Order: sequence, then C-alpha cells, then structure tokens
Amino acid sequence: MNETIPLPTKFADRAAMLAHLRALSGHDDAASAIPDIAAGGRTAAEAVLARIDPRAYAATRNHLDGAVTRLSPYIRHGILSLDEVRNAALASVSDPKQAEKFIQELAWRDYWQRIYLAHPERIWSDVESYKTGFDAAEYDAELPADIAAGETGVACIDQFIATLFETGYLHNHARMYLASYTVHWRRVSWQAGARFFLEHLVDADPASNNLSWQWIASTFSNKPYIFNLENVAKYCGPDINTIPRHNLVLDQSYERLSELLFPYMGGPHG
Amino acid sequence: MADLVWLHEGALRLTHPVFAAGGPGAATVFIWDTDRLADSHVGIKRQLFIYETLAEMSESRSLDIHEGRTEEVLPRLAAQSNAGRVLVPSSPDPAVRAKIGAIRRAAPDLEIVEIEDTPFVTMANTPDLGRFFRYWNKAKKSALRPQGI
Ligand SMILES: Cc1cc2nc3c(=O)[nH]c(=O)nc-3n(C[C@H](O)[C@H](O)[C@H](O)COP(=O)(O)OP(=O)(O)OC[C@H]3O[C@@H](n4cnc5c(N)ncnc54)[C@H](O)[C@@H]3O)c2cc1C
Repeated sequence: MNETIPLPTKFADRAAMLAHLRALSGHDDAASAIPDIAAGGRTAAEAVLARIDPRAYAATRNHLDGAVTRLSPYIRHGILSLDEVRNAALASVSDPKQAEKFIQELAWRDYWQRIYLAHPERIWSDVESYKTGFDAAEYDAELPADIAAGETGVACIDQFIATLFETGYLHNHARMYLASYTVHWRRVSWQAGARFFLEHLVDADPASNNLSWQWIASTFSNKPYIFNLENVAKYCGPDINTIPRHNLVLDQSYERLSELLFPYMGGPHG
Repeated sequence: MADLVWLHEGALRLTHPVFAAGGPGAATVFIWDTDRLADSHVGIKRQLFIYETLAEMSESRSLDIHEGRTEEVLPRLAAQSNAGRVLVPSSPDPAVRAKIGAIRRAAPDLEIVEIEDTPFVTMANTPDLGRFFRYWNKAKKSALRPQGI
C-alpha cells in the first residue's frame, strides 16, 4: 500500500520543491529555471492584503505600473475569500464609496463564478456568435508557434509573453492586449488562447480566464475589443517597447484597424 | 465516527467553513491527482504555488498530500481513518464535481458533504447573469457592506 504514504512537504528550497513536482508530473527537464512567481501560502497572502490601497487603485488601475493588488493567485485558490478581501478594503477607507471601484472588480470574479456554476458549458463553447464578420470556423483552432514561443516580432506583445512565462502574472491591460492580438490580429480561436493562459497564469481560473477571452473575442460581449499602439504607450510605462517600427501592426488609428481586422463587419459575409 | 476533510485547489485556507464543519480532530487530505491536474491545464508554475500553500498549511494542521487517482485514494483514506463522512468545499469546477461523482460510484456508503464558502454578496433573487452590469446593479448594495449583509 505504497500510495498511502503522504508526499513530503519539507524541502530545502523552492528549487527542490520544483524538482519534486516535475518528477511527479513526469517532466524531468529539471534544469529549467525557477519561475519568479508569487509566494504561496496564507502568510504571503496576508502581507499582500495589508498593502492594498483602494483609493490609489481607483485612480491608477489601468496603468501597468498602477496600484493593482496582485491578490489574484490568493483569491483564485481560496487562500483569501472575496468576503475578507472586501471587508479589508472597506476597513481601509473612511467612506465605502472610496472602495467601490475595487469592490466592483472583486465582483467581476463573483459574477464569472456564478456563470461557471449555472452554465459550465460556457467555459469552452461560444456563448454567442462572433460579432466580427467572421464565423467561428474561420478562427484557427491551434495557437501559432510564434505566439507559444513569444516570438511574434511585435515587440510589446513579445514582452508580455515573456513576463507571462517568467512570473505567471500579467496586469489586466496586458492580458487584454495579448488576448486581442491573438484573436483579432492572428484570427486564432479564443479557446486556443485561453488554454495558453491557463497553462501559464498562477491565478489561472477557467471562469475568469475563459469568459474574459470570450469578452475580448465578442462571443460574450457586444463588440470585439481592439487596441492600438498609442493606447499601449499611454498605459504601459517606459519598460514596454512601444517604438512604432518594432510594433508595426499595432501602429494604426482605430478606424483603420477596424477596416483591416474586420473587413466584413456589418457586411453580408458575417 | 470522525470526518475527513478533502481539500481541492479552490479552497486552500484553514478558515474555510469546511474546517469548522469537520471539527478540530478531522484529518485533512489533498489528493495530488496528476491526471486531473493535467486535464485542468494546471501548469508547473501553478503547481508550485499550490504545493507551497499546502506545505505551509501542513505546519499548523495535520494535512497530508497523497498522490494518485482521487476516486481510488480518497475512499481508502476514509476507511483507514475510520471516517464516515467526507467534507469537501463546494466548487463550480466540473472536474471536481466529476470526481465527487466518481467517488460516490466507487464508495456508495461514504457520505460526501459539500460545504459552501462564506458569501461575497447576499441577494434575495437569482440575478440575471446576461451581462455584468445587470448583475452588479443588483449586487452592489450588498457588496459594499461588510460581510455583504
Ligand atoms: C484575457 C484575460 C484573462 C484573464 N484570466 C484570469 C484568470 O485566469 N484568473 C483571474 O483571477 N483573473 C483573470 N483575468 C482578470 C484580471 O485580469 C485579473 O484578475 C487581474 O489582472 C489580477 O491582477 P490583480 O490581482 O492585481 O487585480 P486587481 O485589479 O488588483 O483586482 C483585485 C482582484 O479582483 C479580481 N478581479 C479583478 N478584475 C477581474 C476581472 N476582470 N475578472 C475577474 N476577476 C477580477 C481578482 O480576484 C483580483 O485579484 C483575466 C482577464 C483577461 C482580460
């Protein structure tokens, strides 16, 4: 009855734990790097929770260097409940209104979880049809190799993918850019993109992730989400390369992008 | 007979109501089911985060991680610890729900009880989930109060 012996929980360091997990999952490429991910556990979670600032959050959350909380891996794994995070946010302000934007974002998670429970089939199937002028069948079912490798040649996109690989975390805006690039510039099915994120995000959640991909794709929203280089430059700060000649396909007006990406939108094709 | 708490990766905290339901003496297990982890696309980075969390939890409570297929390992552990009931945090994840079904088939005499987490909002009626703002307009009042009450 070998299997009833519990697995070890004490390791010299993260590298040793990682080697143990690789052996369990049958990957023996033990030489690969130790990822720079958030620390697991309640102690780490409480330290992150103690630093939240709902007022600064409301003012800066759309910026990559804004006061977002990085609570997602702790919330996703129930290390912190949504209830206690909300209570902590309320306790840190003098008027609940100051925490409203932050609590509304927490509510997105509650919303997606409710859909997950009520309609589990929506996690992998289109909730509605694409509103892009293309049929679902026109989207590639597989993720292109250059996206999977983070070598698309679009500088900011490759930086986002590298961050995803190294840290298992991306700011919400970077997730939106990367998902939009994948679905709308490359015409890849949202399902292929969602699988890619699930494998790399430390906060990976089938509901928050897949339903957000559907929101970007327009299969669970009223129109496709697109962006341009000017928008990336506005929100991403100096660490992201937004030099036009390194990001050619993004360097257009919204009007021109709509024509290029959705030539049949509103027309007979769709 | 004692209870056995069966944790999954969506509820990794010792203040989850599942522990109050089981009482201080209930043994706790997490089943490291590699096939299920792979089916759920749980990559190595997330595995590391989950395992670190479990390792820390095991410092303050008796909690064992067992490798194997959930529906085989769990009934055996329940029998060994003489547990009449298995308590599990409720989950919307179809993979967890499928495992609950598989355990029920493998061990029909074992009672499995799902324990809800503390709610984020309380609402009188089931909200319209068609679009976020339809839900938010109904949830907002409760969401902006401590304990959502
Ligand atoms: C394509 C795409 C994929 C995504 N995949 C995931 C995922 O797998 N897991 C996940 O938790 N979130 C996902 N999100 C939502 C959101 O991007 C992350 O929750 C957020 O960026 C996590 O960072 P934070 O903790 O610093 O967030 P903060 O902005 O500080 O928000 C606090 C908490 O609120 C919740 N939250 C905030 N925004 C959202 C949102 N839009 N949807 C759901 N919950 C939200 C999270 O629990 C988050 O930790 C995805 C978004 C997109 C566009």
